[in-house]
Amino acid sequence: MKIHVYAGLKDYFEPEFEVEGEARNTDELKTLLVAINGKAEAMLSSCRFAVEEGFIDNAYKLKSHDTIVIIPPSSGG
Amino acid sequence: MTPSSSFRPAVEGREAAGVARGLSGEPIDMVGMLAGAHHPGAGAVVLFSGEVRDNNRGRPVSFLEYEAYGPLAEKMIGEILAEAKSRWVLQTAVAQHRTGIVAVGDTAVVVITASAHRGEAYAANRYIIDRIKHEAPIWKCEHYADGTHEWGNNCNCHAVTGDVSKHIYESEG
Repeated sequence: MKIHVYAGLKDYFEPEFEVEGEARNTDELKTLLVAINGKAEAMLSSCRFAVEEGFIDNAYKLKSHDTIVIIPPSSGG
Repeated sequence: MTPSSSFRPAVEGREAAGVARGLSGEPIDMVGMLAGAHHPGAGAVVLFSGEVRDNNRGRPVSFLEYEAYGPLAEKMIGEILAEAKSRWVLQTAVAQHRTGIVAVGDTAVVVITASAHRGEAYAANRYIIDRIKHEAPIWKCEHYADGTHEWGNNCNCHAVTGDVSKHIYESEG
């Protein structure tokens, strides 16, 4: 599945990349991402996830073709 | 004396066209937004302008850079404005947020509300800017005078609410 990250997460990951391995939900995806870069763990714990311009929670069943946007806490204004 | 009015019937059209709300990679036309916000039924117009400070936590700031997840940010700003209009009787509710590099002293975000009385216009304006700052996927990066940079992390509501989707709205600088 494709991953897009923004803002501070770009200090830990490329802005866009693909993850290999199975992740059925956002918790499992976080585990995969922490395995890629453990330094991102704290930030990932406060992130929201979105698919197709809508937020998802851990109940959402991730699909292999999903493009998942990982959204750190906002800091606009 | 001939009555004068700065009412511009194009206000609703501007909103409908998305001209005065959402995101902008160019400097915000605050004067133009305000000119379009007047309404004969509004006795109060409140304009909030969020501007770039030259310091952050005691460190000199050279400029800010804003990044947004555009499609969702635009959608959410529209929903926040609609929600405000459902809570208060507003003749105007518009907001625009910058993306890209914004210089010290320049405007990063503008929210304008107009209502019959100031109470509603103030309350709605505060509601809109708080929700945009906390919820819309827009991030700022402080670029310091010493050449370092730091992504903002203003919204830490989840530390209190225990839920990254739940926010508390209090005054922020």
